[in-house]
Amino acid sequence: MDGDSGVERGPQLEELEDIDASDGQASGRPGADGADRFGRLESITDSALGYLSLEEMLSEVLERIRGALAVDTAALLLLDEDRGVLVARAARGLEEEVRQGFQVPLARGFAGTIAAQARPLVIEDLDHADVVNPILSQKGIHSMLGVPVHVEGRVIGVMHVGTLARRVFADEDITLVQRAADRMALAIDNARLSEQRAVTEIVQRTLLPDALPQIPGIRLSAKYLPAGAGIKIGGDWYDVFQLSGGRLTFAIGDVVGRGVLAASVMAEARTALRAYLIEGHELSEVMSLLNDLLVAMGRNRSATAALVSFDPELGELQAVSAGHLPALLVEPGGVARFLEQHHGLPLGIRVRERYVTERYPFMVGSALVLYTDGLIERRGEPIDEGLARLRAAAEAAGEDDAPLADGVYRRLLGDAPLEDDVALLAVESLPLGTSLELTLEANPAVLADLRATVGRWLASFGAGEEELFDIALSVSEAAGNAIEHAYGARRARFAVRCDYHDNCVQVSVEDRGRWRTARPPTRGRGLMLMRSLMDSVEIERGEEGTTVRMSKRLASGS
Amino acid sequence: MSALALKRFDGLAVARPCGDIDAANAAAIDEELASCLTPDATGLIVDLSDTRYLDSAGIDMLLRLAERLRQRRTELRIVVAPDSQLRRLFEIVGMLDHVRVHATVSDAMADIPRAAPDVSDGEASAPDIRG
Repeated sequence: MDGDSGVERGPQLEELEDIDASDGQASGRPGADGADRFGRLESITDSALGYLSLEEMLSEVLERIRGALAVDTAALLLLDEDRGVLVARAARGLEEEVRQGFQVPLARGFAGTIAAQARPLVIEDLDHADVVNPILSQKGIHSMLGVPVHVEGRVIGVMHVGTLARRVFADEDITLVQRAADRMALAIDNARLSEQRAVTEIVQRTLLPDALPQIPGIRLSAKYLPAGAGIKIGGDWYDVFQLSGGRLTFAIGDVVGRGVLAASVMAEARTALRAYLIEGHELSEVMSLLNDLLVAMGRNRSATAALVSFDPELGELQAVSAGHLPALLVEPGGVARFLEQHHGLPLGIRVRERYVTERYPFMVGSALVLYTDGLIERRGEPIDEGLARLRAAAEAAGEDDAPLADGVYRRLLGDAPLEDDVALLAVESLPLGTSLELTLEANPAVLADLRATVGRWLASFGAGEEELFDIALSVSEAAGNAIEHAYGARRARFAVRCDYHDNCVQVSVEDRGRWRTARPPTRGRGLMLMRSLMDSVEIERGEEGTTVRMSKRLASGS
Repeated sequence: MSALALKRFDGLAVARPCGDIDAANAAAIDEELASCLTPDATGLIVDLSDTRYLDSAGIDMLLRLAERLRQRRTELRIVVAPDSQLRRLFEIVGMLDHVRVHATVSDAMADIPRAAPDVSDGEASAPDIRG
């Protein structure tokens, strides 16, 4: 530490060793014998304090210390490790310090020096010392005693007391303050752990999708596990976006580092990603925008990320990577291989970096695994071995009925303690069968996904492009009618059923509303459209609701 | 959130909706298309290259748009690929009787008379809009 940095050189500044010699010189202190002071010490550390919240507990201990030592001020500063500063957290007789959010860098000023040296420190005459905090001199504080607050040998803060009159602090004073500080240290550490746990939980709850979309024929599964359960949140994240037309976009990423800063960068990246996707940008463009944003944020945090979008109707993936580990593709036969991707630079390193979108077929029976390094990396092991293990795990898990992410995770990590965060997202394209049954919310927003699902279902029977278009659009028209019937009803739903038998597709769309007189031209056109596109259209209007039945024979089935 | 990509060439606006047009978004796209038209715009080209499905609400919206533009004497052209399902749909619903449809944006642009010389005699100079 720099010997020129003020306080330490002040003529009145004495360290603990020096004070030993001047024991008994204390002045301005009400007479107190040893027993009395130990009684007060007990009062500082009694167990009733355990029931208070951290803030209340810190305040209470400071108040008791003030009484026990007959000092005018008592304050606690905690170390912010990320920024290397001490921040005022609780104070008595010096409340401005907390209100104004006073901060002092490590190794500077009175508190900074104590934290840096991890030793008690006394200033007998503040006037002659170079103090960083103007509040201390404004208050007219004359003498100060401060001690480090530590947990397991680590300094986590500083506690100090001060008097308006000149005072020489005795050994017992230092011991007393140190014992109070130790007691606080435990409480603070416990509180911080539960705070971290709470933050981790909030991040998990709010920043990760709480429910994966339910899409017929597509099984999504995910795992997110922070390492060391709640010690420090990491920057791993994944997300699933359902865009109109049945297209799904998956994102996975890993912000370098841990702690709240990494988590906040992750949160901002995730929100921005949603915004760019909703705006309709192409994937590589989204990645470039995200990169420019991270560079502009200037937090010096880089991140790797992968974006994959899946068009279920076309059976195609588009993928773009910013330095992320390669996505694993399990082919319909069960053989897994890593996507050969153009790996762009990680995000947040160089502005205006270009990324490349590549396309891959993704047929029914295929699966995709996106993951972060925590899933495959083992200390002291080449990464190729981790990748090989993942490939084997995915091939084996593909034979189970369990969701793929669960199977892969169980095979790779099981119950072993985690060395790093793990985020894992799996997408499986499953066969739809000869019947498709859907119950949908009566909201026009479902139409695009409905057409995509019907199209995907038809494609599995080898329906031609025209047939697929005609049937999907007719189902969508009938659904549009059902939605219109439910107009005004809250939480109304309607049912769609499609059957494939002997090269013939039969569809029924059933609602619980009344069929309204066709409102020309829209609805009239809808009905005309269904009649033109399908072989047969029947409408059953009942007391309970309306059912539209349609059929169409496919020219070439499978 | 923007549902369409817009480009301008002189007095022409070329709008490409990104995705399907159906009962969920037809009204919003109608509004966006209307806002593409500056007062001095001579024409609007709606490029449906990125649109896979267009339902009856979408068809209705385009027909109403065609009628509004006809009244203010602004040209409307629609672009759909000749071998696309949308082109077939347009034939089925008789869209081609009401709107001029082209295979590419440049074909559509070439079909819009530039710097209309004289519109003083109103209806008489309105182009034949039969496809």
